[in-house]
Amino acid sequence: MAGASISRWTMSYFAASLVFLVVGQALLAGGFGYPVLPVEAPETLVIVHSLAVGWLALLFCGALLQFVPVLAAAPLFLPGLAAPALVLLVIGLALLNCGFLNLAGYVDHGLVLLPIGAALLATGFGLIVTMIGGTLARTGSLSLPARFVALGLLALTAAAGLGVAFALELSGLVDVETLHGLLPAGVSLHAYFGMVGWMSVSAFGVSYRLLTMFLLSPETERATTCSALALVVLSVAVASITLMALALGSSRAEPVYLPFVLAAGAGLIFGYDVLTIFRARKRKALELNSITSALAVAFLMLAILLYLLLLFTGQIEDRIGALVYLVCFGWLSLLGLGQLYKIVAFLTWLECYGPVLGRTPVPRVQELVCDGRASNWFYLYTAAVCVAVVALLLEGSFVFRGAVLAQTVAVIGLTVEFVRTRRLFYVSVQDSKLDAQRHPSLFLPNSIERS
Amino acid sequence: MSSKAATLVERIRTRLKDVIDPELGRDVVSLGLIYEVDATDAGVVHISMTTTTIGCPAAVFLVGAVRFATASVTDVKHVEVHLTHEPRWTPEMMSV
Ligand code: HEM
Repeated sequence: MAGASISRWTMSYFAASLVFLVVGQALLAGGFGYPVLPVEAPETLVIVHSLAVGWLALLFCGALLQFVPVLAAAPLFLPGLAAPALVLLVIGLALLNCGFLNLAGYVDHGLVLLPIGAALLATGFGLIVTMIGGTLARTGSLSLPARFVALGLLALTAAAGLGVAFALELSGLVDVETLHGLLPAGVSLHAYFGMVGWMSVSAFGVSYRLLTMFLLSPETERATTCSALALVVLSVAVASITLMALALGSSRAEPVYLPFVLAAGAGLIFGYDVLTIFRARKRKALELNSITSALAVAFLMLAILLYLLLLFTGQIEDRIGALVYLVCFGWLSLLGLGQLYKIVAFLTWLECYGPVLGRTPVPRVQELVCDGRASNWFYLYTAAVCVAVVALLLEGSFVFRGAVLAQTVAVIGLTVEFVRTRRLFYVSVQDSKLDAQRHPSLFLPNSIERS
Repeated sequence: MSSKAATLVERIRTRLKDVIDPELGRDVVSLGLIYEVDATDAGVVHISMTTTTIGCPAAVFLVGAVRFATASVTDVKHVEVHLTHEPRWTPEMMSV
């Protein structure tokens, strides 16, 4: 049956990503890199990639593997690649981070780990692009949300390609003219392709679909959504041209603005669309994951306003840390954590109760979670992000680290809730008797019998 | 349709009200997911149904649940459930 599949390794991606999130935040709270050290310090690069690749990229890959077949109404292309991709990404990231630690002077003779780690990461991302791209290619005409995801894959390829180039250049193993021009001028493009071109653009596409689905809003192709898509296409195109110009030696080293401004415009339209979807919803009572999505989109709007404000007052360079933090934790991570809360419950339900649906009384998906506890953690997390961003803007390093600590506690609290959902902790005794042997494995693939 | 077949269809529809969509917590009939129930006097039943989302991973289980529930109705001898997305389900199809 078309698309009726469960991605076997998604839960493993989620488990790995949560570990990296906790580690990355703990390092920040411990004062390992920024803001105690400069943004460009190797220590900061360890934290940035633990969070950007370890947490966000693994989370996005796991979610896309599960969700793109739904978007495309086609089975996942080459699902066997999901496990090797995860292994490559995790080992590649570990080696890349060791390479950064070498740059920071913690270990000797480790520079070669930078390009090796980068190559493994790029291969892992290559497998992901193959699976997701191949799945999308299976459908004749792509829906609007699927087009956002497809564009995101191009940006991911560019981000990974630039990452490999940086790693080669930093390792000093090769001496190529093209690479000299990319550092440091290409760093903002690399961050753009990763956080904006890939993650934010995919998040737009996925949210359009998921929000209409969860809120029971009419699924219409809005003119506003088309213009948001046009703007992000233009944004990625301009960024790609800028990248080519850099690589070909046009030595314009000034920071890039146009792709960001175009993407900001798309983001504002997306915010407007989300408001429309919420207003047109048939499901009146909001579920927790819809509330957290709304909060995440509100953070995105704040981030865009902050970006424009900093741009016009010429303070981007000095305040870039606060802006990146707001995008990473306010927008992408909160959206991700909220959807994780929903997807973990839904997948667990499918694994345990799907096969016996209709034969015996089964709990609803909502009965696998405890909204009361989870919402406390989500609100603590949200408040902590607000304090952390304000502290970064006001350069209060001590307050910032305290806020990150609170954020880490909130994430650990949420992780405990995810584990409880997997363990059917909240399902009433009477129901759980039925699944004494049905308990799913915490994060390894489960075999699901089909009726 | 004979009156025997018509009452069978009615009993099947009543039985399907016990099949709950796990995500929305409402039964498949009032959600408007059951497009058509057809029965012959001999108890051969044909059901055409949909899901709220194309490609929904729960679809295969919902179809199984509808098939099982229908087969458990007295006088039903053979059931065929057909999953379709023509027309596409919209929230307007839910009964209030
Ligand atoms: C194949 C994967 C990747 C590799 C090999 C890689 C490698 C690198 C390297 C070597 C740098 C240091 C450049 C310098 O000397 O300043 C860097 C910077 C950076 N990367 Fe990546 N990267 C990868 C993927 C990503 C992704 C997916 C994201 C975001 C979603 C990302 C975000 C960043 C950011 C924000 C910086 C700048 C950090 C700072 O200056 O503190 N990277 N990357």
